[in-house]
Amino acid sequence: MDWDKLVQLIVNGLTLGGVYALVALGFSMVYGILKLLNLAHGDVVMVGAFIGWGVLGWLGGAQDPAVAVWLLITLMVLAAMVGCGFIGVAIERFAYRPLRRAPRIAPLISALGVSFFIQNSVLLLFGANFRSYESFDLVDVGIGISWGPLNVWILRVVVFVSALAMMLGLWLLVTRTKLGKAMRATAFDREAAAMMGIDVDRVIVRTFFIGSALAGAAGVLIGLVFGSINHFMGFGYGLKGFTAAVVGGIGSIPGAMLGGLLIGLAEALSVGYIEDVTGRIADLTGGRFPRLGSQFSDLVVFLILIGFMLLRPQGILGKREVKKV
Amino acid sequence: MSANGQPAPLLRLEGINTYYGQMHILQDVNLEVREGELVCLLGGNASGKSTTLKTILGIVEPRTGAVILDGRDVTRDSTAKRIERGLAIVPENRRLFGPMTVLENLELGAYLRPRADLQEDLERVYSIFPLLYERRKQLAGTLSGGEQQMVAMGRALMARPKLLLMDEPSMGLAPVLVERSFEVIQEVHRAGVAMLVVEQNANVSLSIADRGYVLSTGRVVLEGKASELLTHDELRKAYLGR
Amino acid sequence: MSEAPSGPRIGVDEWVASAEERRQKTLSARAERAFERVPPAAKLALLAIPFALYPFLVEDPYLMQVGINTLIFVLLALGLNVAVGWVGLLDLGYVAFFGLGAYLYAAVASDYAGRHWDGALAIPAIAVTVAVAGFLLGLPSRRLVGDYLAIVTLFFLQLFLVILINSTFTRGPNGISDIRPLTLLGREITSLDGYYWTALVALVTVVVVLYLVNQSRTGRAWRALREDELAAELMTMPVNRLKLMAFAFGASIAGVAGAIYAPAQGAIFPASFDLILLITVYAMLVLGGAGSLLGATVGAVIISASLEALRDPEDASWLVYIAVVLVLLVLIKPWWRGLAVLGATAALGLLVHEAAERWWPSLVEGTTFGQARIDRLVDGWVLMPADFVTEEGLPAGAAARITYLLFVASVLALTLIRSSLWRTVAFVPVLYLAAVVWQNLMLPQPAVARFILMGALLVALMAYRPQGLFGKARVEIV
Repeated sequence: MDWDKLVQLIVNGLTLGGVYALVALGFSMVYGILKLLNLAHGDVVMVGAFIGWGVLGWLGGAQDPAVAVWLLITLMVLAAMVGCGFIGVAIERFAYRPLRRAPRIAPLISALGVSFFIQNSVLLLFGANFRSYESFDLVDVGIGISWGPLNVWILRVVVFVSALAMMLGLWLLVTRTKLGKAMRATAFDREAAAMMGIDVDRVIVRTFFIGSALAGAAGVLIGLVFGSINHFMGFGYGLKGFTAAVVGGIGSIPGAMLGGLLIGLAEALSVGYIEDVTGRIADLTGGRFPRLGSQFSDLVVFLILIGFMLLRPQGILGKREVKKV
Repeated sequence: MSANGQPAPLLRLEGINTYYGQMHILQDVNLEVREGELVCLLGGNASGKSTTLKTILGIVEPRTGAVILDGRDVTRDSTAKRIERGLAIVPENRRLFGPMTVLENLELGAYLRPRADLQEDLERVYSIFPLLYERRKQLAGTLSGGEQQMVAMGRALMARPKLLLMDEPSMGLAPVLVERSFEVIQEVHRAGVAMLVVEQNANVSLSIADRGYVLSTGRVVLEGKASELLTHDELRKAYLGR
Repeated sequence: MSEAPSGPRIGVDEWVASAEERRQKTLSARAERAFERVPPAAKLALLAIPFALYPFLVEDPYLMQVGINTLIFVLLALGLNVAVGWVGLLDLGYVAFFGLGAYLYAAVASDYAGRHWDGALAIPAIAVTVAVAGFLLGLPSRRLVGDYLAIVTLFFLQLFLVILINSTFTRGPNGISDIRPLTLLGREITSLDGYYWTALVALVTVVVVLYLVNQSRTGRAWRALREDELAAELMTMPVNRLKLMAFAFGASIAGVAGAIYAPAQGAIFPASFDLILLITVYAMLVLGGAGSLLGATVGAVIISASLEALRDPEDASWLVYIAVVLVLLVLIKPWWRGLAVLGATAALGLLVHEAAERWWPSLVEGTTFGQARIDRLVDGWVLMPADFVTEEGLPAGAAARITYLLFVASVLALTLIRSSLWRTVAFVPVLYLAAVVWQNLMLPQPAVARFILMGALLVALMAYRPQGLFGKARVEIV
């Protein structure tokens, strides 16, 4: 057993999981309050990554930043959060609010349209080439936390810790503040919340802002750790974020965190081991089963999703939905 | 007080016509509740009671007509804006926030009130419903039907309303609890809060009300003093079954 | 005490009695009722005749190919209609079944696979296989609402593409290119005309089957399910089985479409079955009106033709300008106001252009990418800043990108204006800005621009006319 590899994969998985959890949170919050799958959420992540990239270029790029690196990264994240927050608000206002009383499928189709619109707008404005954050120039890969033979790049640590910090902040917001209480009440029964004098539209707008801001932050973190971004990246991260939300229990905040970490770890581990494992199976069975490369890691994540659908459809922390008659 | 010595109306519906698609639900409904009055709105299934209430709350928008709350036209305002005008409601089936505690439910009732008054309002509600104090940390969804009714009424009172709407307060409650509900209604009414009680149970509600309206297939077919309605022949045949 | 003057007696229902009075007497409502009285066989003929005439009117092989693709699109839209329009399930993996059909055909009839099955055997076999695949995919989501199904099916599409691209068995991104022509009962189809007729026969068959299913017990049950799942369940309908059936049935139609598409193209690639196709088929269904066979057909034809026209730099501008004028005349009432807006926009453009020429000549020194006559015409009207876009047609700098964002924001803001007069006035600068964006930024990249328009179309349709062109509006009771 190669322990170094395992530990490295776990570190990768946690970083990836932190990002997935951020995506899942925004998605889950919106679902909780509107019972709507915001299929355009992944594209908001992508726009966040582009905003971060724009700020990076504007402040001199990774080679020759105009400000200290920590400040640069903070500014990138903040800009993406604010920008994406407003994009989320616009999506709600123009694509979803007119459809509050439409059949359930209408806002989903509208969401497909929004997703397609955003993706192709970015393609129109920036072209199909990958854009690079040049993270290795920004922060030397040698800088990190060393522990025996293990060395974790500091940027990975930063990404994981900031993802955790944002989740904690959100948790405090939802449980401790008046807005949080209004959000929970609106999520449980929108009409009854309005009867208490809660301005439901405003609560929904704020939920979209917060959820989309988290997605924007996730976009920048992705750019920082994985280096390159393009107009199509939102689909994959969105899909994993949705899956994480469902696996964790859709509508539940700690569920989204757990789901994200689980999916991130599963993906990282299957990238690392799927070749060995399927190779061994193929050897044992005389080639009856195919050998799969690391590109097939999605297969494992999909199987986890299907497994949850079959065995625990409400997710890890979700409560079984009681049908209201 | 208005010129003729009558208290000013807190709530007035003027010529309300409401449609679901082509379906004409409320047909020219006029209704008013004056300060300090207890008015009941009667009607059977599908008579338009719920739609009337939804129109007052702004959940359904009328095609023509006006909703006037405390002297201001709120026909195009959101539900929240109307609540700000001094309205509170005990909804049908109570509609508590099940996964939140009793205390949180009560706090949500006082959503628009200044934070400084919260403690005082809470104590007032606890004095009416002492049980709620004991149960304040319990999740509202885990309470029994009668207890939930208390939370719903307490929650509405937390808003210190000028006008309290009650939607089917007797629904789904054991007879003893119905009685207790109506006692509380009278108590609150005596404290000076105007009330509109929407009910199927004509007998009980008319016996405590000042005035009443009767809805049938979307129209007001009868209105008048509660005491007179109680003895009206046609109404007795249709609703009281004797 | 007073009694309401007129009105029904207590307990009398006049709603039913006045049903006839409520029927709308507008022209379109009458036309709709007249159309309802046409016997179904005649309707089918009405639908099929334009398709049947097409090959006699068109010589160009490229246009024949477009015709075949359009028929395939119609088939796809009709299949999607079963799950989405009739039952209300959001199936986001739909095009994977189309791809599965195509790849299965390659597996039973290509030189690569070394098999040459006859179409009379292959197509039914593929239909059944794909239906089974749809059934299996639907199973895990069986007791769940559409939301979970959407995620599972979307993931399935992603996985399907991952497998196609990465597996050596499907030859990865290069696809399979030596697919055998379709053989029907020993006769090999090699001409484009032959494939066109095959697709048309398949289409007519599918329409007849769909019509019969829709009239059957199952069809009624499906519609009931869409309207109110709980009520349907209480009526002892086997809700989950019905959903799975619809899901699998729609999938099998996609499979058949794939089995015709593969030999008609001769080669298939993973990239043909991606998200773009999915959203295109959704746009077709939604434009025509989900739930209506006629709607799905007409929607597919309109979108397919528009996408084709937008790809061609000779036609693209014409299509866009004509569409804008038409939409404007329908949207702004009365019609003369619409004309006034057009006139004012033209005047504004001339003014702006003139001013720019005099004071900021760099704003008009760009060269157009357009090749249509109309592009040369608007060249003297619309601002064309120098160095706005690169030679490849990408925005050259921040100014171009900001112009685009400003345009999107102004369109959104326009929808927020409540007063109809001010909205009409606001149309003028927004239209001009639209022309600037189209000529400068979109025309150089028509392939991308058309998808932006399609995305916007989906959102706008859902907001303003969710029933599409032919669907019936539904009333939600709160």
